[in-house]
Amino acid sequence: MLRIKGSRRAAATIGLGLSVALAMTACSGGGSDSEGAQDGTIEVWAHAGQAAESEALQALVKEFNSSQEDVTANLTLIPEADYTSTIQATSADELPEVMEMDAPTMAAFAYDRKLIPLDDVLASETLENRIQGVTESGTYKDQTYAVGMFDVGLGLWGNKALLEKAGIKDIPTTAEEAWTVEEFEENLAKLAKASPSGKAVDLGEANGFASEWGTFTTTPDIWSAGGTLLKDGKAEGVINSDENVDALTTWASWKEFADPNTSGSNFPEGKTALTWTGNWMYPTFSEALGEDLVLMPLPDFGNGTKAGHGSWQWGATPAAEGNEDAAGAFIDFLMTDDSITTMVEANAAVPGSTSALEQSELYGEGGPLEMFANNLESACSSDDVTAECIAVARPVTPGYPTVTSSFGSALQAIWGGADVKEELDGAARAIDSDFSDNNGYEDE
Amino acid sequence: MQTTTAPARNINRRRLTAYVPHYIALLVTGTLFLAPVAYMVAASLAPANKTLAGFEVFNVSQWGLHNYAGVASSLSSDSTGHLWQFFAVSFTVTVAVVGLGLIVNSMAAYALSRLQWRGQGIILLAILMLLIVPFEAVAVPMFYLYNDARNTLWIQIVPFIGNALAIFLFYSFFSGIPRSIDEAALMDGAGPWKIFWRIIAPMSKPAYASVAILTFLTQWGSFLWPVLMISDPSLRPLPLQISVFAGQLPPAWGQVMAFGVLLVIPVIVVFLIFQRWFIEGVASSAVKG
Amino acid sequence: MATPAVLLLIAFVAVPFLAAIGFSLYNVRLGDPRDPNFMGVEQYARIFTDPNISAQFLSALLHNLIFAAIVVPVQTALALGLALLVKKTIPGVGIFRSLYFLPVVFPIALVAIIWRLILARGDQGLLNSALAFFSGGAFGAQDWLGSETTALASVIVLSIWQGCGFQMVILLAALQQVPSELYEAAELDRAGPWQRFIHVTIPGIRTTLVFVALYTMILSLRVFDQIYVLAKSGGGLNEGATRTVMYEAVTAAFDQNNIGRASAISVVFFVIVVILSLIQRRATRNQEG
Repeated sequence: MLRIKGSRRAAATIGLGLSVALAMTACSGGGSDSEGAQDGTIEVWAHAGQAAESEALQALVKEFNSSQEDVTANLTLIPEADYTSTIQATSADELPEVMEMDAPTMAAFAYDRKLIPLDDVLASETLENRIQGVTESGTYKDQTYAVGMFDVGLGLWGNKALLEKAGIKDIPTTAEEAWTVEEFEENLAKLAKASPSGKAVDLGEANGFASEWGTFTTTPDIWSAGGTLLKDGKAEGVINSDENVDALTTWASWKEFADPNTSGSNFPEGKTALTWTGNWMYPTFSEALGEDLVLMPLPDFGNGTKAGHGSWQWGATPAAEGNEDAAGAFIDFLMTDDSITTMVEANAAVPGSTSALEQSELYGEGGPLEMFANNLESACSSDDVTAECIAVARPVTPGYPTVTSSFGSALQAIWGGADVKEELDGAARAIDSDFSDNNGYEDE
Repeated sequence: MQTTTAPARNINRRRLTAYVPHYIALLVTGTLFLAPVAYMVAASLAPANKTLAGFEVFNVSQWGLHNYAGVASSLSSDSTGHLWQFFAVSFTVTVAVVGLGLIVNSMAAYALSRLQWRGQGIILLAILMLLIVPFEAVAVPMFYLYNDARNTLWIQIVPFIGNALAIFLFYSFFSGIPRSIDEAALMDGAGPWKIFWRIIAPMSKPAYASVAILTFLTQWGSFLWPVLMISDPSLRPLPLQISVFAGQLPPAWGQVMAFGVLLVIPVIVVFLIFQRWFIEGVASSAVKG
Repeated sequence: MATPAVLLLIAFVAVPFLAAIGFSLYNVRLGDPRDPNFMGVEQYARIFTDPNISAQFLSALLHNLIFAAIVVPVQTALALGLALLVKKTIPGVGIFRSLYFLPVVFPIALVAIIWRLILARGDQGLLNSALAFFSGGAFGAQDWLGSETTALASVIVLSIWQGCGFQMVILLAALQQVPSELYEAAELDRAGPWQRFIHVTIPGIRTTLVFVALYTMILSLRVFDQIYVLAKSGGGLNEGATRTVMYEAVTAAFDQNNIGRASAISVVFFVIVVILSLIQRRATRNQEG
């Protein structure tokens, strides 16, 4: 056995040196991170959604940078699938000055102190010019945390030729004329026969009801039936109410008429008579169907037709503190009528400012999508759904991520044939236990 | 003469015919293994509307390099990240992890197998135990603990330098080197460092090669950790970028496949250069392990 | 000399692992400025008993086990078959060795995307076209990734395609180390090819076979990348039919910001890895004895 004396100390010393060196490279590596600059450069994060939308945003940022000399905005696009998780995973001091967020996630970010109130950051004209729906979905605890360049509308699109073929003459165009559920179901049966695919309606099954799509497109049914998702931060007795159970039982019974639409293009190709989707499909649909395209309100379950709303919107983070002018100037720029028009030309969304809306060819008076704009005029919150209001925002609560994932899983299971009441009871349990884990998300 | 060659020729012919089923089996399995690769290459060259059009993707007459040009132009801004950046990140991270890992882990293995120090037994046991902890089991707590290092280069490198498996592979290799060799060097007055750098390390090239290539493959394909830690396009490694690229709407599949081809070419080159080392190295350590 | 490696392993394996145990007892949320609540073993209780959470977790665990139960024997057998095919040094065999190994250098994220296109639903995906062509149109187009019955099987196929070559290289090396005298002796005893395989080949490479099987099993438990890419980047993967334990942990942490539950899942995952490794080791030891 051989002993190598004195080696222990040498080894230890050199090892320590190496690890110090490693640690130092580690720290210097950390410096590459862009820190909140005070020199008029602001970082901006946005989601990379439809290519046309991202290109429009890149063009707007470029225009903003060349329009003035004080502020330079650096845009980073983050894939939509990971966007919300990325903001969640980034600590408040590492966030960019300005970021985009999906409407229902706003409250969660405000709760985590990742957003600052905008009431003193933005120009008062910007705030006053917002349409009702945008104001509604940007407000948390009576303060404005986000402003949207646009809002969305959800409707029932029809193929006039197939509707006529099925002998349906009563085609509603305004909220008051919406089909009742009974009428809708009668028409589904007729349209299934008239449609080449043998199915009457595409409910967006291919998008997966477990995702946000499920919550966004199915909540109008429960609101219209007089139910809702949450009241005062409680789900038990609300999400699993009799109204909701009935509404979703009805919804699941449509499956026999629902087109799984695996190719993704049955409606624009004229194979299926109806589709249940948002305004962003308008460019595709109108190009394919032309004069045959009609936009109708969703069916009325008794409490008046309802529609979801709330889309991508902009906010400022604590990184912008001390640099509010720059962040404010950028968001104000995005909210000008010109910028909004550039954006909505790319995504066919409802313009988010009153003045841009008035000028809009699509949404203004007599425009083909006027119904969406009218719906948003009577927007209300999910806690207090009246018969008069049409567009309803998804619950504004920091616990929304749990609400939507639990409700979505229940929807997916219900669509697959599971017991409606049991699934909704499960969702209520999951939501309430998450709220109690987090002290009800009480935000003091 | 005649009588001796005739049977020999018979045997040869019999051998050749005996190999026919063998070659058929090779060809069939080879085609199955090659098909997805061929599809990727074909789709990267075919027009965009032929990616998902059955066999039309293999219509050579329509092939061109437009998808490659498309990748270069769609990944050329600060907002989306630049094509060269993704390669630079993957290259830097992989080279750093492999290089530093070889030094650090082989030193540790040497200390464990040759030197005498307090706590040696416990450390060796601990490392054997860490062998069983997959990175996945610690990814979530690390995501939380090292959250402040989000979007940095070093957080993609440093956690992967120290590697229990690499230490173990070096340790088994070093333990197989006869001690009489170190003793002879010690007689000549060499210290432990000199013995390590001048004698043990050069004798252990196969171990270094196999550890290097194992680490290289894992790092080059690394996905879970970047998903959790990297959102800045300028710090995104290739595998993460290809999933980002594939997730954009509407997806440009031809360009995604072109990106895929560009992504694997460096690895194939490395593999071809080090093929012999790799097969010997992996095999010897695995057979021993 | 071992210090750097030991420090790195402490910082990036041992500490995070212990932290996972700690986090799993609290309601830890990333970015929440408030202090987390202590929850005791509530997270574990939910994983195993809460009707919603446990159903999801247990189905994830089941998918991992199905994955392992299929991939371990099939991939090992296939790798052994390929190794036997390329063992004989006949002309051109080197090309096939490289060919079978080629997918190994592909990052699994890229593999998932290539196969996502090959398996595309509708009649335009390559596989659907090929099946329609060879069956004369009798075989209708399948939604391989979206259908509950074929989703997991599809993931298994693409995983085997990518991983098989690695095992093949290891087994090939083991085969080459079986002394040829043993085969000659068996031939003298008039043993047929099958008997030689059972009585000479298998015992000769048994240690390596066990190593390969163990290694594949651990990899099967860690499956994450391909599921995540296919489910998130517009792959149309049936998430409910393919979610794995790691996918659950990452989505709990990353999408639901529930670090506590994600840590509890990580701890359970680790315990499962240890238990299965111990069972497998014991089983192989009994066999040997």
